[in-house]
Amino acid sequence: MTAADASLGVLDERALVEACLAGRDGAFDLIVERHRRPVYQLCYRFVGNHEDASDLSQDVFLRAFRGLRSFRGQSSLATWLYRIGVNVCLNRVTAKTPLGRATETIDDDKAFVDDRIESASDRVLRAERASRVREAIARLPRKQRATLVLRMYHEMSHQEIAEVLGSSVGAVKANFFHALGNLKRILGEAQ
Amino acid sequence: MHLRPDELVDLAEGARAESSAPHLAVCEVCRGTLADLRATMGDIAPSDVPDPSPLFWNELSARVRESVAVEAIPRPFWRDLFAWPRVLVPMSALAAAAVVIVAMSVGSRTTRPALPIAATEHLLDAQQIAEDPSLGLVADLTAEMDWDTAREAGLAPRGSAEHAVTHLSAGELRELGRILHEELANSGG
Repeated sequence: MTAADASLGVLDERALVEACLAGRDGAFDLIVERHRRPVYQLCYRFVGNHEDASDLSQDVFLRAFRGLRSFRGQSSLATWLYRIGVNVCLNRVTAKTPLGRATETIDDDKAFVDDRIESASDRVLRAERASRVREAIARLPRKQRATLVLRMYHEMSHQEIAEVLGSSVGAVKANFFHALGNLKRILGEAQ
Repeated sequence: MHLRPDELVDLAEGARAESSAPHLAVCEVCRGTLADLRATMGDIAPSDVPDPSPLFWNELSARVRESVAVEAIPRPFWRDLFAWPRVLVPMSALAAAAVVIVAMSVGSRTTRPALPIAATEHLLDAQQIAEDPSLGLVADLTAEMDWDTAREAGLAPRGSAEHAVTHLSAGELRELGRILHEELANSGG
């Protein structure tokens, strides 16, 4: 890290954004560095494969750079980036690869399963069920899908989701309620 | 009255105790809905996104840096103008309309026979000449011109008698002379 980067590191979000707008070297790099992991994970949740998630992450940051002047600091930079990310992902998923059609196999539950006590057949069954759930989520209406992904996989509060989606907490909870209901119905149809 | 969706979500997530919703104890429908919500939430197993290669993060930063650098290079304004769909689409429509108008205009000129001088004189009135600077200039230059001068200048319009006579071949002129002589003889002149 250079001396310039080190001095940027002490800036809060708003000051960092202002440094970007002032054309200060390394300022936007630092924003990317701080937020690239959650942005990538969000994109991955929507598309289900590394290549697309990587492209979408790049797109999210590029759009953020273009729209930096519109960032007012009313929400956190993370929330603002999530908002851009959700829009980019929903547009991309709708236009191109549905979540459930992801070509890459996702070993979703690897981090949560103790392989010593789970049999191979149990792992297969669990992977199949996870795949069915992903496909069902991909068939949800856009706002319901976004709400479900942010709530269940990113563990965001209803308030945070409301800020990302630009709606009220009540609307987010209603979306979540209907998303779960539709998910149950879709999973039931698939069986 | 049944519990609202947001109330059921709060109950399903444990944000609110069931004891705070006495309606549940007496409503089988709401109990069933709540059980379904919890079961579906259980189906969505918590999971991690597979971590990409450690090298990926720097690669992503580099890609973003490159795309941002390209974005920051000033481009000629017309590139943005023509790359802008909201401008391009109406401009394409206007261009298409212009092509149609020109085609119709050319088509009408080629299919409509040229009018004799007497007729064309009525097509250009004073107001049209006043509105069109180029017509006004022509009108000023030709205001004092007599027919002989106009004929010498080759200004006889296509389709007029002057134009027809001055553009006849030698054989056609001989034939015209013969016809005129016959007509004069017949008329006794």
